[in-house]
Amino acid sequence: MKYKYTISGIDCPNCASKLAKLFEKADGVDSAKINFLSEKLTVESELSEAELLPMLREVAEGFDSDIEIE
Amino acid sequence: MKKRKKGISKLLRSEPFRLIGGLAFFIPAFILERVGLPVLSLALYISALVLSGGAVFFDAVRGIVRKDFLDEKFLMSIASVGAMIIGEAEEGVAVMLFYILGEWFEHIAVRRSRSSIRSLLDIRPDSAVVLSDGEEVLTDADDVEIGSLIVIRSGERVALDCVVVEGGCDLDTSALTGESVPVGVSVGDELLSGAIVASGVVTCRTLRTADNSCASRILDLVENAQEKKSRSESFITRFSRVYTPIVTSLAFLMAVIPTVFGWLSLSESVYRALSFLVVSCPCALVISVPMAYFGGIGGAASSGVLYKGGNVFAPISRARTAVFDKTGTLTKGTLSVSGVVTKDIDEDELLALAASVEYTSRHPIAECIKAAAKKTYPVVLPSELAGRGVLGYIDGKSVAVGNLRYMHSMYVNPPVTDAGVYVAVEGRFAGAIYLSDTIKDEASEAISSLRRLGVSRVVMLSGDRAATAREVGNTLGFDEVHAELLPTGKVERLEKIIKESDGGVIYVGDGINDAPCLARADVGVAMGSLGSDSAIEAADAVIMSDNLLRLSDAIKIARKTERIAMENIIFAIGIKLAILALVSVNLAGMWLAVFADVGVAVLAILNSTRTLIGRRKREK
Repeated sequence: MKYKYTISGIDCPNCASKLAKLFEKADGVDSAKINFLSEKLTVESELSEAELLPMLREVAEGFDSDIEIE
Repeated sequence: MKKRKKGISKLLRSEPFRLIGGLAFFIPAFILERVGLPVLSLALYISALVLSGGAVFFDAVRGIVRKDFLDEKFLMSIASVGAMIIGEAEEGVAVMLFYILGEWFEHIAVRRSRSSIRSLLDIRPDSAVVLSDGEEVLTDADDVEIGSLIVIRSGERVALDCVVVEGGCDLDTSALTGESVPVGVSVGDELLSGAIVASGVVTCRTLRTADNSCASRILDLVENAQEKKSRSESFITRFSRVYTPIVTSLAFLMAVIPTVFGWLSLSESVYRALSFLVVSCPCALVISVPMAYFGGIGGAASSGVLYKGGNVFAPISRARTAVFDKTGTLTKGTLSVSGVVTKDIDEDELLALAASVEYTSRHPIAECIKAAAKKTYPVVLPSELAGRGVLGYIDGKSVAVGNLRYMHSMYVNPPVTDAGVYVAVEGRFAGAIYLSDTIKDEASEAISSLRRLGVSRVVMLSGDRAATAREVGNTLGFDEVHAELLPTGKVERLEKIIKESDGGVIYVGDGINDAPCLARADVGVAMGSLGSDSAIEAADAVIMSDNLLRLSDAIKIARKTERIAMENIIFAIGIKLAILALVSVNLAGMWLAVFADVGVAVLAILNSTRTLIGRRKREK
């Protein structure tokens, strides 16, 4: 399944690609892409929406506490 | 409760707060230092640093834990803490304050460019007025089902692709196609979402869901376009990957070597090394180059040109050869009468006879003869022989209109054999009508503007007959015309052209059966083909209107974007090298170093938004 979220609070394009790599390392995530400029996060994952979002938020929280995903 | 907590922590982490808080400690510390209270002053300096830079240190430490620490936060942390340790407390705090000021400006600049690009692309309405049981209900666009009736009034934007079932309006499609002249729309015409009804009211039946409608597809294309990185962008990514480690090791050497050889004191060389670290932060590059491409893609989209990726800008800017498909690209794709040959009969009369007999036919040839005729006569017993022609009686005389085969079958031998349609009256040749596709009005201007942009070789590939293709080619001043090509022949010819050319080759087609050519060329441009998925798939850029002049606009936007990206690279690297040189000979301190980092970043971001500013001026 492909999920799309709005992700805000990322400071720089580099951070966006680093965070995307962190997401990709997480279990159950096949691919993650962050578009720094349009603030979109696209995740391909076998997880359900209910499992995925809290997990993404946790990873993002550990990266930079300003980041919010919706 | 949790939300409120988050709100407070957000305030504590916001740049203005940290900046003011930092200054509140920094200024007294600065004064106390001057009046001779070093210990108290140092304490205040440390508080200022912790307050302003705490979040930066925190993120830097997190980065180290992740084993991914050579970023700007890390650099700034070492520089400020390092300065503290060697006794330059004042500068250590100043560096951090400057850094935060710069970050703040940078965020403002990024936010502004983001929102200006978004407003350009704000073409998807959230809601539509749905007619259900005669009542108008304002409905979320995502909830409107295919086949619903929607009402669109003047000034409103079309939310979903639909077809008009009642009423008529003038439609402003400038947001989609870049064309500013409104088009008249009536029952049976299709409306694409994103267009604005300029005047009038229409009731329409929806053809697609909001997600599959034109506006959403445009936005998807634009968003995905950023995932295809341009060469400069991937250069920057690779660059910053090797850059930070190199710079950090250089700084380390700068701190150690002069001390070991006794040229400078330890604190002096550490100070220089730290300044060097601050300047060398690659932030400006990393942020401003993708920004330039984002602006270019957004600006192009709002002029009706969709770029499929930043990687298209470079080849289309350098292209020296343009290859065109003929029918539907250079020509309107609709036939018209181009000449008439007659025998013992007036030209108008011939057209009138032909049009009258063809009156009930829906064949495209019949349509164009009818359009050319000035009058018609009543016809008795019209009959149509599919693939040959039509026969009817006017004033008791038989009138046959058809192709050469039809004439021969009636033992009529026309004196000419290259016309499109022949007319025989009472079994005797009366005349022939030549048909041709009309060249688009703007085609000739479009080709000359391409030439002004430095495209030196203009080639036509056509499946049409040689005589017709050559005529169009000569009228428009093409360098080469290759006609009577099958689709595979087109690709072979295109490959030959690509091999011969230096600089890139652009292929322009209308997307119908030239997907292979669009895919094969360095840059495939599909025109007026928003409806055709295969064209969008195969092309590198899509021009949404069928106006050929947009092609040179597309090239100009690409060139401007490339130039801005290049300016940013040169400007950022240039300034940094200059200040690095100054730092290493001790002509510049940390303050200037911080400017080189954040000032350059802000200027480069502002430069990037010029791709959008140019667009706005044109609109006015």
